[in-house]
Amino acid sequence: MAKYILKRILLLIPTLLVVTIVTFALMRMMPGSAVDMILNKYQAMGFTVDRATVLAQLGMDKPFVQQYFTWLFDLLRGDFGDSLFQNQSVLELIAAKMPITLELSLFTLIIINVFSIPLGIITAARQDSIGDYSARLASIVLMAVPTFWIGTLVLIYPAKWWGYAPTITYVSIFDDFAENMKMFLVPAVLGAAGQIGMQMRVVRTSLLDVMRQDYVRTAWSKGIKERGVLYGHAFRNSLIPVVTLVGGSVASLVGGSVILENLFNIPGLGSCMVTALNNYDYPLVQGCVVILAVIVMLINLLVDVTYKWCDPRVTLE
Amino acid sequence: MKKDAKNQSNLLVELFQKKPLGAAGLIIMILFLLVAIFADVLAPYPMQSDMMQMDFLNTLIKSSPEHLLGTDSLGQDVLSYLIYGCRTSVILAIFCTVLSTIISVAIGLASAVLGGWFDLIVQRIVDGFQCIPGVLITMILMSIAGKGLPQLIIAIAIPGGIGGARVMRSAAFAVKDSGYVRMSKLLGSKSSWRAIKHILPNIMPLIIINMAGALSGVIMVEASMNFLGYGVKVGTPSWGYMITYQGRANMYTAPWLALYPGLCIMLLVFASNMFGDSVRDLLDPRLKGGVGSYNGNKIASIAKKIAAKREKLAQKA
Repeated sequence: MAKYILKRILLLIPTLLVVTIVTFALMRMMPGSAVDMILNKYQAMGFTVDRATVLAQLGMDKPFVQQYFTWLFDLLRGDFGDSLFQNQSVLELIAAKMPITLELSLFTLIIINVFSIPLGIITAARQDSIGDYSARLASIVLMAVPTFWIGTLVLIYPAKWWGYAPTITYVSIFDDFAENMKMFLVPAVLGAAGQIGMQMRVVRTSLLDVMRQDYVRTAWSKGIKERGVLYGHAFRNSLIPVVTLVGGSVASLVGGSVILENLFNIPGLGSCMVTALNNYDYPLVQGCVVILAVIVMLINLLVDVTYKWCDPRVTLE
Repeated sequence: MKKDAKNQSNLLVELFQKKPLGAAGLIIMILFLLVAIFADVLAPYPMQSDMMQMDFLNTLIKSSPEHLLGTDSLGQDVLSYLIYGCRTSVILAIFCTVLSTIISVAIGLASAVLGGWFDLIVQRIVDGFQCIPGVLITMILMSIAGKGLPQLIIAIAIPGGIGGARVMRSAAFAVKDSGYVRMSKLLGSKSSWRAIKHILPNIMPLIIINMAGALSGVIMVEASMNFLGYGVKVGTPSWGYMITYQGRANMYTAPWLALYPGLCIMLLVFASNMFGDSVRDLLDPRLKGGVGSYNGNKIASIAKKIAAKREKLAQKA
């Protein structure tokens, strides 16, 4: 086990190297550059700044490859650089945005699992009943609703009909707990909705698949009650695809939902990255991507290790 | 092999016989396709030289005999706009799905057949891409390529295709080890021949499943990209664009501008989800019913009968 984890962690290194190369190359391929943004800013205030000076100050007068390696070696020393437009280091900025995104992710994740797992089990246990059909239909509908559309409607119609609008001013959880919860509830529910539909179906399919295995038949024939067979024998085994899906949603939640953060004015990591991208804030975008990539890779590792817990027959190679 | 081919040609027949919901999804999709093809005939105010007709005197009217679904803030007829938006979505859905499938299959097949160092390196690249949020890659690619429908198709298909490569690779790997592929190798066939002649037909069901599943995701991403401002050119009708730039901008005076295009997206995604699901059910042998399938109601009633019998026996004894 320890050997497997060590091997996986070693394999992270080349992957991470690919991530840095891809991000760096993509960022520099974008037309326009940070230099233009800076020059425009000064020009708008009536100053003329020499382009070469700015380039030299940003270290962008050197060839791309050299710039890449400077950035990479700084990264290895734990130096993510400073944001070009916000007077903070990249790590400080990420440390400020991360808790907000993590809170929303946790909230969303709880909602997803509280609804999808019980619903999945019930629909599997009563396959082809009216409840099963209606829950499955509802799940397909949920999956078909575009998040940004329903988010827009939630902002429009309640305000029109009842004069109520969801809170869209960010309050820290430490300042005002109730207000903070109120603000996160709507985006969390919206973010969870589609995923609930999908995960419910995966729980159902996977449980049905496990329920026709031989060892489950043995459990039935031993005279164990349905509840015992479902929860004692089948459920944990059926979790493998579910764990994969949950891992995937954690990974995408941690990246911050650009759309929900945009709509509900949440200062999280997603909106931070988009702003940085629009500003050509190279160090900030690259830093965010690298940190996210590490998190995603660790989650994937955790998911693979969890397989072993779900199904002892799984061998980690 | 022959049997497989026959099964695939019968897929449509089977869909209509066994999966009414999936067939309904297919019919809705075909309707959307027809609307897209005959947009010029169907739209009450057809485009003139690639521009929507604008009625400068009738902006933001609700609905009238002249404009069945009203007009937007530029005086464009909403119904005509939606019909042309359908064309954009359908073109994107078709080309994007095909392109991303080609990318995944090409990477997956090459990886599996060539193996060795090539496989190792390509898989690290695929891993690396999967660790970067797909939305971010699409956004960066869009700002490199500029706005427009062809650019959007490529920018969505690249991360999608690379993401799907892993599934194709493991499927191809499973086929690669089978007797007939080894035999073909022994007889001195070229690796490209083996990939196309022997492996490709055998992973065809998986490819079809993936394509059917990708359809809805692609439509959703297109709408979100337009929402974020990284979509089609200004003037190209698009549902996502309408929700954002008409719906949100006029959300209190003309909320229907956000409502209608969202309903269109929802219906199309809903239809392609139902279709994709049914196709998967039909092609994935693991999900087929029949022997050993679990029916909770039936088992519960049998268990009750057994318990009753046992009690009787116990009483007799």
